[in-house]
Amino acid sequence: MTDEVGALVFDMGHYSIRAGYAGEDSPKIPRCCVCQAEIPSTYGVTEEVTNGGVGEPMDMDGGPAPQKKYFFDTNSLHVAKRGMEAVTFLKDGMIEDWDAFEKSLDYLYEKHIRSDPHLHPVLMSEVSWNTRAKREKLTELMFEKYNIPAFYLVKNAVLAAFANGRSTGLILDSGASQTSAVPVHDGYVLTQAIVQPHQRVQITKWGSGRFWCMGAAVVKIPLAGDFLTHQCKLVLEENNIELVPPYLIAAKDAVKDLEAPRWTRKSGLPEVTKSWHSYMVKEMLQDFQSTVLQVSDSPYDKESVENMPTVHYELPNGYNQDFGVERFHIPEGLFDPTTIKGASASTIGVAQVVTTSLGMCDIDVRPSLYGSVIVTGGNTLLQGFTDRLNRDLSAKTPPSMRLKIISSNANTERRYGAWIGGSILASLVQVYEVSPNLVLWMGKQGTFQQMWISKQEYDEGGKSQVDRKCP
Amino acid sequence: MSDVLDILSVDRPSTPEVTKESILGTDGKKKRKRLLDVSSFKRPEGMHRELYALLYADHRDPPPLMSTDTGQGYKQVKAKLGLKKVRPWKWMPFTNPARKDAIFLCHWRRVADESKDYPFARFNKVTIQIPTYTDTEYQQLLSDTWSRADTDYLMEMCKQYDQRFVIIHDRWDKTAHGDRSIEDMKERYYSICNALARARGGPDVAVRAYDADHERRRKDQLNKLYHRTQEQVEEEQTLLSELRKIEQRKREREKKTQDLQKLITAADSSSTESRKTEKKGGPKKRFPIHKNARTEGTPLESTGIKFPDVKSCGVSLRSHRMKLPTTVGQRKTKTIEQLLQELGIDLNPMPTEEMSLHFNELRSDMVLLYELKLALATCEFELQTLRHQYEALAPPGKVILSNWSLLLSLSEDTPGPAQEILVVKLSFYDFRDHKVDCDFINSCVLF
Ligand SMILES: Nc1ncnc2c1ncn2[C@@H]1O[C@H](COP(=O)(O)OP(=O)(O)OP(=O)(O)O)[C@@H](O)[C@H]1O
Ligand SMILES: [Mg+2]
Repeated sequence: MTDEVGALVFDMGHYSIRAGYAGEDSPKIPRCCVCQAEIPSTYGVTEEVTNGGVGEPMDMDGGPAPQKKYFFDTNSLHVAKRGMEAVTFLKDGMIEDWDAFEKSLDYLYEKHIRSDPHLHPVLMSEVSWNTRAKREKLTELMFEKYNIPAFYLVKNAVLAAFANGRSTGLILDSGASQTSAVPVHDGYVLTQAIVQPHQRVQITKWGSGRFWCMGAAVVKIPLAGDFLTHQCKLVLEENNIELVPPYLIAAKDAVKDLEAPRWTRKSGLPEVTKSWHSYMVKEMLQDFQSTVLQVSDSPYDKESVENMPTVHYELPNGYNQDFGVERFHIPEGLFDPTTIKGASASTIGVAQVVTTSLGMCDIDVRPSLYGSVIVTGGNTLLQGFTDRLNRDLSAKTPPSMRLKIISSNANTERRYGAWIGGSILASLVQVYEVSPNLVLWMGKQGTFQQMWISKQEYDEGGKSQVDRKCP
Repeated sequence: MSDVLDILSVDRPSTPEVTKESILGTDGKKKRKRLLDVSSFKRPEGMHRELYALLYADHRDPPPLMSTDTGQGYKQVKAKLGLKKVRPWKWMPFTNPARKDAIFLCHWRRVADESKDYPFARFNKVTIQIPTYTDTEYQQLLSDTWSRADTDYLMEMCKQYDQRFVIIHDRWDKTAHGDRSIEDMKERYYSICNALARARGGPDVAVRAYDADHERRRKDQLNKLYHRTQEQVEEEQTLLSELRKIEQRKREREKKTQDLQKLITAADSSSTESRKTEKKGGPKKRFPIHKNARTEGTPLESTGIKFPDVKSCGVSLRSHRMKLPTTVGQRKTKTIEQLLQELGIDLNPMPTEEMSLHFNELRSDMVLLYELKLALATCEFELQTLRHQYEALAPPGKVILSNWSLLLSLSEDTPGPAQEILVVKLSFYDFRDHKVDCDFINSCVLF
C-alpha cells in the first residue's frame, strides 16, 4: 500500500545522477519531455574572466570575478568548448565540490523536475562510508537553501536491499568507481561506527585506487566499471587501435575488417581540454565495454576462451574487428586481480570482497547474509558477472552456510537498484506487494512518515537531526 | 438409453435416430430447410443468378467483417457510468498522529474525506517499552560491574534501535563505553528487565530467561564450525564415510553370523534329534562359545523348507501338502529335483500320509544340506583369503597367539564382529568334526 506524498528521490553515483518522483518504477519525471531523469555525474565547467558584462556578479572589490560556468547533461556536455574541463563533484562516492553539487541540483529542479523544491520532501541516497560532517552539511543545504518540507538520507545499500524486497542481506554493489560489499541487517548497515578517512586500514595499492576495509564490515575495491574502461583503453592501445571519439569525426567510410579506418577530421573545433577529451573517449569505451566484454564462467584460461564466440565491434571512426580473447581477459581482473598488470599480490577480487565482509560480521547474522547476497550496480550487467560470482562464492562458502545470490533479471532494476529502493521507501505506507520481509520491517519501523526529518524538526534540532533520525 | 426410457415408460424425445446422413453431416433435413428458406425468397424475375447469390448467401459466407448494429450481445454496457456525481480529489496536507510536529506532507485525497483521520495511521510504530529506573532503584537492584553511565547508554541504545542488539553492538561507542560483546549487552539488559520486574512485582511478572554463558558457548562453537579449514572438512567427510563403511560391514557380518548360526542350529537339531543313535562327537571341541551363541536368545527357526500348514484351510488335497512353498527359490527347487533324481526318487510320489511327511522332511533336509554346503564354501573361501592376508601381513613363524583360553575369553568378554565370525567358524568346523588347525585360529585372532 502506498500513499503518494510527492516525494523526490535522488541517487548520486560516479556514473550518473538519478532523480525522480517516489512511486515510479524507474527514475523518470512524468509530464516531462525529457523523460529520463538521469544525467551524467560528469559535467563541463569553464572558468571565464568576464569583463563585467550586464548581470554578471562582481567581486567584492569591484574587479572582474572569474566565473564558473557549468554545463550539465549529455547534450551540453557533448559540445566541444574551449577550455571546458570535464569533472565530477563526487569523490569516493561522497560529495566533494559543494558548489557544483548545488548547481547540479538547481539544474535538476529547473530542467527536469520543474517544480518548486519547497513542495517536495526529498529522499537521498548516500554511500555507507559517508562522513558525519558531509551528512550534516547536506541536511543543512537541503533545508536552508531549498527549503524542502522534509528530508531523509539512506545508505544506498539499504535501498538496494529494499528494491530486492529484503531488509537483510549482503549488498554487492559494482558501479563505476568501486565495488563494495555492505552487510545490511534489518534495514541498518553494519558499519561498526563509520570510520574517518585516517582510520581506514589501507591494505594495498592499485594504481591510484586502494582497497580498504571500512571499519569492520564494509569492504570495497576500486575494481569496477571505470577500471574496466581503463583496461579496455590499455588493451586497445596496445593493439595499435586509435581511439577517436565521435566529436572529432566529420565523416567516415565503411572499411573491411581490420583495415585502417578512413575518416575525416572535423574542422574548426575549439581547443578542448585533456579531461574533456578523455571523458569523450571514456564514453566511447563504455559502449565498447558493455557490448563486447564478458566474464568467463571459470577462471580465465586462454585455450578454452579461444573457442568462445567472438564479437564484432565497430569503433566510431569506422575501424572494426572481431574481438575474441580480449573479451574475457579484460574483465577477468575483477575476479582474479593477479591477472592485472602491475597489481600487487594482496589485491582481492569481487568474490573475496564479499567473503571478507561476511567474515567480519557477527556469526549469528552470517547465515542470513549468505542467504541473500544481493547483486546491484551497472557494472554487474556485464555478461556472465553473476554466474562467475556464484561459482567463486560457492567455492568459498563454508559448508555450514547456504549461499543464495539475488539479482534482478531486469537491467533497469539492477542499474537503478538504490533509486528504486528509495522510490519504494518514500512512497510506502505498507508493502504488501513488494515482500513480506519488508512488511515485517515496516511493521517494526512504523510508517515511513514517522521517519522523515521535517522542516520543523530541523528548525528546532538543527542539522544534527540527521545523525539521530537517519541511521 | 432408449431401452431405459422404454422400461421407465417415458415418452421418447423426438431426437432423430442416428443415421448415416447425420453422421456424415449430409443431413437431408438441413438441405430441406435451406431449400425451404430459399423458396421463401424467390429470385425475382430477371435478376442474375450471381447477384442473387451475393444477396442471399448467408448460409455459405463467413461472418461479415463489419459489425452489425443489433444492440445486443457483448456490446451491452453493464456498468452504468456517469450517473453518480463526480467526487473530486484534492492535493491536501495531512497529519500523521504519530508525529508531534506541524503539517509538512501533502497527499491526494477525496474532498469528502478531508476531515477524516489519516487512514494509514494504524500502521504507525508501536514503541517498544524499555524499562526505566530511578536512582535508588539502580543502587538497590542494579549495581553491577557495569558503570551507571554504560548502563544508561545501553538503555538508550536499546530504545533507539528497538532492541536490535546486533545494531547496538555495531554502533556502540567503544572509546567511551568499552568494547562489549553482544552477549554482555544482552545479559545486562535482560538482567535489568528481570530485576525491575521482580522488584516491582505486579500481576504479570514476565521474567525473560537469558543464559549468557550458554550463548557464548554456542557462538564459540558456531565460530569453530565456521572456521574449519578445507582440509578439516574433508577429513571429517572421509572419516564419516569410513565410519559408515565400517558400520555397514559390521551389519553384513552380523547378518552372516546369524545366518550361519541358524544353519548350525538346524543342522544340530536334525543331527541330534533324528539321528540320536549316532555317536555323539567327542567332548573335545564343544566350546562354551557355542552355547553362548545359542543362549543369546534369538529364536532360531530351522532352515530348510517351511511347509505351510494346510490343515486349517478346510478340505484339501493331500498332494497340496507336498507342494513346495513359493518362498523356495528357483535354484533350490532345481537342486532338490537334481538330488531327487540322483537318489532315484520320484518327483511326485504318491501322497500317502506317511509319504508326504517323509518326502517333505527329506526335501527340507536337502535344502539344509545345500545351504550348509554353500556356507561351507563361503567359509572356506573366506578362510583362504584370510590366510592370504595373514601371510601377507605376517610371515609364517611369527605367530603370536595359539592360546585357546585367551581366544575363548576374548570371545566371551568382547563379542566383537571378528570374534563372532570366528566363533561361528569354529563351531561350524566342530560340527563337521574337522580338526581345527592352529594356523587357522591364529589367523582368525589376528583378524
Ligand atoms: N549493460 C552494461 N553492461 C556492462 N556495463 C555496464 C552496462 N551498463 C552500465 N555499465 C557500467 O556500469 C557503470 C555504472 O554503474 P552505476 O550506474 O551503478 O554506477 P554509479 O552508481 O553511478 O557509480 P558508483 O556506484 O561507483 O558511484 C559504468 O561503468 C558503466 O560502464
Ligand atoms: Mg552506485
